[in-house]
Amino acid sequence: MTSPADAEAQISLTALRQEYERRVNAPELTQDVAVRLSLRERIWNITVVRKTTILIFMALCWQIYALNLQNELMLPSFTGTVTALLESMGNGELPRAIGTSLRVLAIAYASGVVVAGLITSLALSSRIGADFLETCTGMFNLLPAIALLPLALLWFGIGYASIIFVIIHSVTWPMTLNIYSGFTGVSKTLRMVGQNYELSAPAFICKLLIPAALPHILTGLKVGWAFSWRTLIASELVFGVSSGSGGIGWFIYEKKNQLEIATVFAALITLIIIGVLVENIVFKLIENKTVRKWGMSI
Amino acid sequence: MNAPFLDVCNLTLQYKTAGHLVTATYDVSFQAHESERLILLGPSGCGKSTILKAIGGYISPARGKIRLRGKEVTKPGADRGMVFQEFDQLLPWKSALENIVFAICETRPVPRSQAKDEAWELLRKVNLTSFANSYPHELSGGMKQRVAIARCLGLRSEIILMDEPFASLDALTRQKMQEELLNLWADTRCTLVFVTHSIDEAIILGSRIVLLSPHPGQVVAELNGVIAHLDEEKNAELAGLRARIARILFKDQCDYTI
Repeated sequence: MTSPADAEAQISLTALRQEYERRVNAPELTQDVAVRLSLRERIWNITVVRKTTILIFMALCWQIYALNLQNELMLPSFTGTVTALLESMGNGELPRAIGTSLRVLAIAYASGVVVAGLITSLALSSRIGADFLETCTGMFNLLPAIALLPLALLWFGIGYASIIFVIIHSVTWPMTLNIYSGFTGVSKTLRMVGQNYELSAPAFICKLLIPAALPHILTGLKVGWAFSWRTLIASELVFGVSSGSGGIGWFIYEKKNQLEIATVFAALITLIIIGVLVENIVFKLIENKTVRKWGMSI
Repeated sequence: MNAPFLDVCNLTLQYKTAGHLVTATYDVSFQAHESERLILLGPSGCGKSTILKAIGGYISPARGKIRLRGKEVTKPGADRGMVFQEFDQLLPWKSALENIVFAICETRPVPRSQAKDEAWELLRKVNLTSFANSYPHELSGGMKQRVAIARCLGLRSEIILMDEPFASLDALTRQKMQEELLNLWADTRCTLVFVTHSIDEAIILGSRIVLLSPHPGQVVAELNGVIAHLDEEKNAELAGLRARIARILFKDQCDYTI
């Protein structure tokens, strides 16, 4: 929209301005470019330090409140809980319960992963399989596993078989959903690259599809773990003993009946610790070594 | 000249949408000779990428044939290495070097140590040795495309198919990559089929330029490239070629943008 007069004015304007070129030297790195923060700031920048401070603060509040309350039955003190924790760890009662729980969990979790894998491969190989997967996950994902416990008791009797059945149910569907969406989400370009190299079907799956779908597979494993862990403890609480050895859920239930409330608290803390270990150490470690390193995290 | 190196013969390509059978290209024929840099140039909708995918073996023709060295193309294969436009064509879980090693090891019976040496050599050719151990997400777009090209060279394909590999790059990087590609070509003398919608890119890179019209894609002209030295860009011959291409492509629609 510039008129000739405007254009002329523009040209005369630029003619007045001096042009120049200059050579830029790389600035010498001096200490001024990066100054070290003070020790206090550096320590406070460590996340663990800040979070530990919060934990200590919470423990302190708990201790003070419990000491004022003076009611070991309603709220045992923090120190009382720690003592109970050390005691039940020491006499082998709690480790035994943990062992039982984790063994059941491992069996059920592994079976759930296998079932999820089978359903996914069925879904990937045929359209009707995919429809089956979508229908089943759509229904059963919404069915809380614990609601199946009465039926499980009817079918499998009193014992860990029932609990394993319920956990498999809780793991399978969310895991299937994630793994399946991981595989179907592998980009068309990557698939074409695989075809370009004339990869055989097993190589295509193992060397291309699985790593490409790994972020979703890991999410599936994580969600599966979270579901199974909660389902396990819940079903053990309702019912969880066979031939004298019960899991942590049963341990909590029993201790409450014996009014050893400090031990109940100790067991709850154990649950938190195990959860944190698995989620923040095991899964974090796997993620850091794989999807995070590859820039694939979702 | 005996049988052409790559022979695309009366190629008609169709695909189905929910309600229609769409003809992407109609009766397209062209040939590429050995060591030629053949450019498929046309506006969007002319089916140039579809033709390239058909040469790659990813799409089977509705009519017509594609032959490479007299052998009919029926499925994807490592004799036709492909470089895509998308940055996600590299395997994100492998470093730049590993991406190339993987391509070599999966397609040729080469021991891993030798594949590694070859991969280094290829990385050197695309000036990326200092990023050998970087993962794709740590590379810029231009670097990713360089790795993809190096990886493709690792296949030792008979012909290299490039589907707008520089289209997603910024203008400066793009110019640099075009130069580098020409250098690589001078080095390897590979046969290249290159798809683009940029007239300038076609002129810079092509030794033979096939012009396509849209809806459905048909060949409207085949021109010879001008020996292009980038520093002689203002050369009258190049300007003439550019004007000629523009005239052919735009002759029906004056407001057509490509």
